[in-house]
Amino acid sequence: MACVMDGNGRWAARRSLPRTSGHRAAETTVIDVIEAARTAGVEWLSLYAFSTENWRRPSTEVDFLMRLVRRVVRKHAALLHARGIRCRFLGVADPRIPPALARDFADLMTLTGENRGMTLTVAFDHGGRRDIVAAARSLIRSGVPAEAVDERSFAAHLPFPDTPDVDLVIRTSGEQRISNFMLWQVAYAEWLFPPVLWPDFRATHFLECLHTYRQRDRRFGGVTPYTNGERRP
Amino acid sequence: MTETARNEPGSTGDTSGAGGDRLFGPGSRFEAFFNDPRWALAVVRATVLEAAHPQVGAALVDNSVFVAHPWRRLRNTVVSLQRMFGADDEVRRREAARLNRLHARLRGTDTRERPYDAMDPAVRAWVVATLFESSVTMCRLSGQPLEQTDMERLYAEFRAYLAALDGDARQLPATVREFWPYYDRVVEEELENTEAMRVILYRLFDHLPAPPLLQGLPTLWAAGRALAGPLLGVVTVASLPEPFRRRAGLPELPGAQALMQGAYLGVGLARFLPSGWLRTEVLTELLALSPDGDDPRARTIGALRDRMKRAGALVRLLAPLPPEPDPDAGDTARRSAEELFAAVLDQTGDGYLDWPDLAAMAREIAGRLDLDEPEETRLYDAFAGWWRELQAALDTDGDGRVSGPEYAAAVPSLAGPALIRVAEVLFDVTDADGDQRIDAAEYRALFRRGFRRDRAGSDDTYARGAFVRDFLAFMAGRERSSPYDPLLADA
Repeated sequence: MACVMDGNGRWAARRSLPRTSGHRAAETTVIDVIEAARTAGVEWLSLYAFSTENWRRPSTEVDFLMRLVRRVVRKHAALLHARGIRCRFLGVADPRIPPALARDFADLMTLTGENRGMTLTVAFDHGGRRDIVAAARSLIRSGVPAEAVDERSFAAHLPFPDTPDVDLVIRTSGEQRISNFMLWQVAYAEWLFPPVLWPDFRATHFLECLHTYRQRDRRFGGVTPYTNGERRP
Repeated sequence: MTETARNEPGSTGDTSGAGGDRLFGPGSRFEAFFNDPRWALAVVRATVLEAAHPQVGAALVDNSVFVAHPWRRLRNTVVSLQRMFGADDEVRRREAARLNRLHARLRGTDTRERPYDAMDPAVRAWVVATLFESSVTMCRLSGQPLEQTDMERLYAEFRAYLAALDGDARQLPATVREFWPYYDRVVEEELENTEAMRVILYRLFDHLPAPPLLQGLPTLWAAGRALAGPLLGVVTVASLPEPFRRRAGLPELPGAQALMQGAYLGVGLARFLPSGWLRTEVLTELLALSPDGDDPRARTIGALRDRMKRAGALVRLLAPLPPEPDPDAGDTARRSAEELFAAVLDQTGDGYLDWPDLAAMAREIAGRLDLDEPEETRLYDAFAGWWRELQAALDTDGDGRVSGPEYAAAVPSLAGPALIRVAEVLFDVTDADGDQRIDAAEYRALFRRGFRRDRAGSDDTYARGAFVRDFLAFMAGRERSSPYDPLLADA
């Protein structure tokens, strides 16, 4: 399952605080949701942290976000590792990402690479279309004849090809958009749009969403039995 | 066994020995020592004895990068010894030729105007002698003296090493029995309290820079060094020959002898560790490993390295962040002129930019690319041209070298035609197949890592223009984080 973390700016604006404090408040929610997902037995969790379009935000806000993410990653690295969570960062291709942050991302991936408890994919500097274009490029480079390309062989060229299709996407703050998020993987996903803003989103909201999804699930069919770390068939 | 080598005094140029009993490769005494942790203490001791020789000392002080870049130097030494003592004769021949070309460039005069020359056979014999004697002493000090036959065998191996380097081993006495008077005579008559020796004993140990892997942890490193640095100094001094300690005026600390023997004994106990835990080349590789490089061997060296990598990642992640930079301070990606001078240009760490600094850069690059003639000379010539340009432009007080302030005052004139020439030649020698593009394998040979994601063009090669531009950006301090950092700036 996946979360689009929306509403930090509005959360801050409602309190007459600078936008940056909304991002800061989001940290608590992130940790809360990770814990709740792990306890509820979710094996694959993706969080949409920063899109390729977010670079258009004012440079002071972007700089602040970079510093904040670095602090958060470092602060919670040991905890995530101790919880048996495998962390991965999807995207992270732009040269504007500070090298120190990229190093921390790589370190966290190295540190937790052997964990099998839950896989946490953080989409940072991510764009769904860009991933598809990259997969197409890699496919062409590998010289596969056009007739041999099907959905499964195409998906094998996406970044982190072992990521299963997303079953449920939660987008907070009531906005109902996809915003270029993991386009390939959300093809059959159920979407939920709780009105609560991301900094106010808590474990209880998360469990409510999961419950709603299970209700819907009863109508739409079974859960795909993917195992952590296993390649797609 | 060893008699075969002893029976042909003065002509150990035949590296396989007379009876087919090989002096190099698996099964040699050297091989056994190479992974012995005590050998680290022995090599430090040997280096101090080397440096106490006036000619070696002068060459080290003038040319060596060991003060500013000790880990890189250590790695290069280990690789070189492995090649020289390995089983492959062709590898040994190439390495000997490379060392000879390298040493032929190291000559000059010391502060008292006495000439030195790294090709002087007597000097080279002394370097080999210190290694042999320190290995023997290491065994004695840790309470397990070598058997006479083992000692003779080891001596034969070191003589063969000298022979592979010099063509013959005549400068070293033919037998161990004759070796000791020779050794005692040099210690008594030739060794001095040289500057190089003082630098090693008192400056290097106390100011040892962190290895690249631990660069994110300055406080941890400083705390460990504050304890280990002086200790290593005391242990080394106490293990030096008594007559030399007396003549050089080295301090006698109470308990130092017991401490020294305890250290040798204690380190010797590490041999009870499971085999494979302590392998010299793995350790030095690890220490010299740049944290963000992607050495292909990293994948194959196995579980230990993986665990170390994860531990390193954890340690880096847990290390406290430096204080937030002032957002008004401007572009932090630039290196200041002083910083560039200290980290990159002043390779020998003496506070001045001089020809040996640039020669050290050429040496490092030539070593990495494993260059042969005439490419090696082309590279040195390009660096020499750059040195003339720098000297002409920057040496305002005319003392023949460039100081930090002189450099900082004249940074803009740095990117002259000779520096561009260096970049061009560097491109040519890196482009091994001469197709005017640097592909991933050529890139890896120079930088020991794959293409950076922002460097790789559509066809994953690196063109001349971009290469020259990036090199100039690094040398002008415009780009702080670059693949040149592990090559030239890291310790």
